[in-house]
Amino acid sequence: MNVLALEFPPVNHLFDWPSIAFEGTPFALNKVGLTYLFAMVATMAIFALAGARRGRLVPAGVQHVAESGVNFVEESVVMQTIGPDGKKFMPFLTTMFFFILFSNITEVIPVWQFPANSRMAMPITLALLVWVIYNFQGVKHQGPFGYLKNSLFPPGVPVFLYIIVTPIELVSTFVVRPFSLAIRLWANMVAGHLLLVTFAVLSAALWDSLAPAAALPFVMLILMTGFEILVSFLQAFIFTILTAVYIGGSMHPEH
Amino acid sequence: MTHTIRRTAGAFGIAIAAFVTLAAPAGAAGETIGGCAIEAAIYAEEAYGSLHAVEEDKELFKKLEKEMESCLEAPSPIIPEVDEIIWGGAAFAVLFGFMAWKGFPAVKGAMDDRAAKIASDLDAAEKAKVDATQVKADHEAALAGAKAEANQIIEDARQQADQLRSELQARANEEIAEMRSRATADIESARSQALNDLRGEVASIAVGAAERVIQSNLDASAQQALVDAYIEEVARG
Repeated sequence: MNVLALEFPPVNHLFDWPSIAFEGTPFALNKVGLTYLFAMVATMAIFALAGARRGRLVPAGVQHVAESGVNFVEESVVMQTIGPDGKKFMPFLTTMFFFILFSNITEVIPVWQFPANSRMAMPITLALLVWVIYNFQGVKHQGPFGYLKNSLFPPGVPVFLYIIVTPIELVSTFVVRPFSLAIRLWANMVAGHLLLVTFAVLSAALWDSLAPAAALPFVMLILMTGFEILVSFLQAFIFTILTAVYIGGSMHPEH
Repeated sequence: MTHTIRRTAGAFGIAIAAFVTLAAPAGAAGETIGGCAIEAAIYAEEAYGSLHAVEEDKELFKKLEKEMESCLEAPSPIIPEVDEIIWGGAAFAVLFGFMAWKGFPAVKGAMDDRAAKIASDLDAAEKAKVDATQVKADHEAALAGAKAEANQIIEDARQQADQLRSELQARANEEIAEMRSRATADIESARSQALNDLRGEVASIAVGAAERVIQSNLDASAQQALVDAYIEEVARG
């Protein structure tokens, strides 16, 4: 793509990675798959090392990272949305938070510079998993009819408004939720990656033609890198807290 | 233990480094459109002899054109790829398995243990504080008792001293009074003695003077002169 004399790759090329192993099979491994493996290994490393140092009174290093993460998920996610009986979901929600965070943060890691969640694979997989879990919890705690009744006919709404509210709730709770959850994460990471690529390409192009002018996009690139670190964290938090909200809503319809 | 931690950290470090190394060429292999087109042209040249031959054959030309156009194509970013779902899903499943089995309980257990230890230390500190307060109160009570006792002793001593002083003063007053009465008695006695002596002296003088007067019949002035002379004689005498 040629815009203002700058060579800019087609947008979908920015997210297309060739296979590096098992090409032509359903197990073809590319940079996206590697990023997920990195997220898995990094989280396992942090928790394995933190668990091995459990004797320390004052946590430091990886132990501090792991404990801060667990504490954050417990205090800011579970206790705020589900309550004390949501603690059984702590391992799942902690796993989800760290997995998404590490799959996002590769966006700003030099050389790597690609967020795996800018591909739809895991956002939609996790969102569908969340859909299954919160529906299962709803049926388990309220019974199938109770869950449907509470979901489609929210209490406190005037009866004549059910004509409007019930279809909206049906589509919102059972159809839109997993997609909105997935698209929110995916679109944010796509946008972040595009921003960083745009400023990087602009800096490189201006450096070749009009070096002093490259300063502005380069400064923007640095600022946006910092901003994307925040976005990576924020999107992991949003995905996790929305999961907890959905599960909490299914467990406690009165709230 | 430290050895195990170091080994584990080393293994994870190597694994992450391997991922980065693998991922970097994967990124570099994200081929450009130009590169893709050149590759297609080279392939066509090798397959059909020369590009000129391809240009002349309409079918071959269309085939090459299609291949080059495909360089602009890429999978839709919104459609999830099966291979990515498999790798991502497997990674998440393994990670969740590890977290549920070991990772989360270990970290949470350490946090809970620490919280329990801190709570227990705080309880122990509170108990020690209560004990110390009790000991302090006991000490203060003992100190207050000792102070009261000391004050009592001082008060008793003061009373005894006052009593002793009063007694001594009374005794001294008695002695003084006795000495004074004795002295008065002595003075009185001396005075009586002196008066008696004087009286005897005066009587003898008077007797002597009367003898003189009787011995000579004198007029009044001569009598007076005789008496004065006699007194002067007695005084010298």
